[in-house]
Amino acid sequence: MRVGSYEVKLEKKVRVSGLEATIISLLAIVIGLALVGLVFLEAGVNPLNGYKAIFSYAFLNPFGLPLTINRSVFILLCTCAFIIPMKAGLWNIGMAGQLYGGALGAFGVALAFGAKGSQTPTASPGMIIPLMILGAVVGGALIGAIPGFLKGRFNTNEIVVTMMLNSIGYWLIAFMIKEGGPFMGGGGEGQGFKLSESVFAPMAWGGTFTIPIALAVAALLYFMFAKTTLGYQIKAFGLSPSAAKYAGISSQNVPLLVFILGGLIAGLAGYHYFAAVPGLYKIPTNYGDFGDLSFYGIICGLISQGNPLAAIPFAMLFGGLTNGGRFVQGQLQLGYGIDYALLGVLMITLVAFQFFYRNTVVWKKIERES
Amino acid sequence: MPNQPVKRGDTVLEARGITKRFPGVVANDHIDFEIRAGEIHAILGENGAGKTTLMKILFGLIQPDEGEIYVQGEKVAFHSPLDAIHLGIGMVHQNRKLIPAHTVLENILLGHPKAGSIPDLRRTRDEIAGLCDRYGFKIDLKAKVWQLSEGEKQAVEILKTLYRGARILILDEPTSALAPPETEKLLESIRIMTGDDLALVPFITHKLPIVLGISDRVTVLRRGRVTARLRTAEATENSLAREMVGREVIFRLAHVDVKQGKPILEVDDLSALNDKGQLALRGISFTVHEGEILGIAGVSGNGQQVLAEVLAGLRKPVTGRISIDGVDITRSSSLERWKRGMGYIPSDRMNVGSIGAHSLVENVLMNYYFDGAYSSWGVVDSQKTRKLTEGLIAEYDIAAPGPETTAKSLSGGNLQKLILARVLSREPRLIIANLPTQGLDVGATEFVQNKLLEAKRQHAAILLISEDLDEVLSLSDRVAPIYEGEFMGVVSVKDARIEDIGAMMAGMKQKVAQP
Repeated sequence: MRVGSYEVKLEKKVRVSGLEATIISLLAIVIGLALVGLVFLEAGVNPLNGYKAIFSYAFLNPFGLPLTINRSVFILLCTCAFIIPMKAGLWNIGMAGQLYGGALGAFGVALAFGAKGSQTPTASPGMIIPLMILGAVVGGALIGAIPGFLKGRFNTNEIVVTMMLNSIGYWLIAFMIKEGGPFMGGGGEGQGFKLSESVFAPMAWGGTFTIPIALAVAALLYFMFAKTTLGYQIKAFGLSPSAAKYAGISSQNVPLLVFILGGLIAGLAGYHYFAAVPGLYKIPTNYGDFGDLSFYGIICGLISQGNPLAAIPFAMLFGGLTNGGRFVQGQLQLGYGIDYALLGVLMITLVAFQFFYRNTVVWKKIERES
Repeated sequence: MPNQPVKRGDTVLEARGITKRFPGVVANDHIDFEIRAGEIHAILGENGAGKTTLMKILFGLIQPDEGEIYVQGEKVAFHSPLDAIHLGIGMVHQNRKLIPAHTVLENILLGHPKAGSIPDLRRTRDEIAGLCDRYGFKIDLKAKVWQLSEGEKQAVEILKTLYRGARILILDEPTSALAPPETEKLLESIRIMTGDDLALVPFITHKLPIVLGISDRVTVLRRGRVTARLRTAEATENSLAREMVGREVIFRLAHVDVKQGKPILEVDDLSALNDKGQLALRGISFTVHEGEILGIAGVSGNGQQVLAEVLAGLRKPVTGRISIDGVDITRSSSLERWKRGMGYIPSDRMNVGSIGAHSLVENVLMNYYFDGAYSSWGVVDSQKTRKLTEGLIAEYDIAAPGPETTAKSLSGGNLQKLILARVLSREPRLIIANLPTQGLDVGATEFVQNKLLEAKRQHAAILLISEDLDEVLSLSDRVAPIYEGEFMGVVSVKDARIEDIGAMMAGMKQKVAQP
């Protein structure tokens, strides 16, 4: 293509360095923000003030920051749940259903020990809390095992199965917490029961202990894919199923395993938000919103190219923006949905800029032809 | 204008000082080269010599860093293959670029300027049928491409470029996928084309007999440079081979005599289905001993692939029994077989034998990730695997910048060396080698064959599946010609007559049963 007296060409890139990827992503974010700035202008708000309000609430405000962190941790766990099957070339669109499964598992354990409302639990918190976490990961893993098993055994499309299970999980929770359901809360508000204070998740360094756990999960996954034979087998299967089969890697077990692991981590995300985030400690009426929030895990996983450590800043960004965006909507009296618009545009620019992960633009001055 | 009539012997395409650099390698180093009308010009070279790069430049697929191209004396610059096509250059790639679900006619029309409007199908069909008659292609234009044999698909690709008006035809390894009779037919058609002043055919290959048999002129490339430019009439098999690899190639391998030991692989009444659900193996029984090479000779598609997959544990048999070292492994997984000392060299290097996006270390790991010596507690010993890979690169003389290079950047011969190195380094007791030298140049072929003989010397039992009868005869102790999923006999090479084996490959049962 010619632009003025320059020839513009695209060249394929062999590899992209971490620094390049960071610069490309930052550029994408800046351009995305600039585009949404036009919406701010249209609404009569100076975009700089708008963004200042969003970011200062999300990352500096003493009320906003903990909310941002809790959302980001949730998104990070969902990202990890997406990444594991992604490395095996499979699509986990079912983090929502799996985290519902995790919530049911955790609250089921709590209920079994009578850790409900103002009741005194029948066992010590030191036993109930670990069992609740176990219940959460088993619940998530069970929901995850279904698409994994079907994929490995019958080559069923995992996208369809996980999507369906999202609906099943959603209505399963609705059934459990409705009036008369086993998990119903008091007062007919259509929400689940509140946990006994003694089984609230413990805090660590001023935040819930699930924050360091989520970071550890990301680090562990990074290690798994970089160093272990298990991670190697998953990657090999994802890149070339026929070569993996040749090397003796089971085409039945890998899908099952990655979905169990993914579901397990999504279950942990369910535990984190419903049983560990301060101020909640129950399955709320709007639990469906968290299912929706889990989908940011997909975009986060794609942008970070399956690198769980690179996903951390993106999870922070999305967590902060969902939080700050909603806040300024009220504060600056912007139209409804500005937070969704912001995130939507950012996702598009981030994904569009991935083009530059694979291509370099080369400018060359054209010699004057006689 | 370049598109003017030419006379036989005119220079129609000329390249001057073509240079193309890729990161870490000069693929083409100041190549001068010309093609004349009515001539077959062969480009000969080892894998990685720069043949394909040069052809891609002449077809406009990639742009050279330096150098000029002249078509009929006019300087031209190709920005894309479209520019080349407009000047009458057509290319037939090594890998088919046809749509299997469409008919031959539709495939030929696809991309043709006429297909933009509503084509007059009857007229185009007549025109294409005319081309078929002229060049001796016998193809049903209404047939779907998936129903065609490899040779017929090749013909469709050639017809497609001719119908677009190509007068300079570039064929990249045109015979590599063809059975011998199909090769003959193709060469016959090419001869007719050159008789026609319009068609001129440079020919890229590393098969010496074909070069000698058909071409008028040869340009030999080695490591990106032209090492020889001569008339074929002045060349001999040995002189060309020397220019190509820079040394004398031994064509006859010394037969390695090893005392045969106990049976390693025992197969009894083995039957299996192919992907289409047809019976492709029909009750085969055989034994391979320690220090023995059993060669399976046959024309492509007679059940060899299915046999290799069943033995490697990648396909379930319908009937029969397989045992290694006397242990029944019929139901064992592929992984268990690897652990029992099986080593499988698959025919599809790119999709089965390697993972292109992975580094060489990770590719070596394909046969080592399950080995306790290279991991502990599930964590790969990266230093040890890296050292192993570096050792294999050195020992097998694999041309690669380093162990972190991706496998897809290796040329075909080097990729095969990597696979061979990885499999043989496990010191397998049983080696299944499926088409181990297919598509390789003379030097790499010789290398692979010597490595197999070396493994034989180390008392491995080797099952060699090959479509190259010379290879089977020079390496094997016994030969089993396979035809439509059945062995036509098992012959000891010492007292085999090549006509007999050829006849068995064509479906004649062995006359006298051997003990």
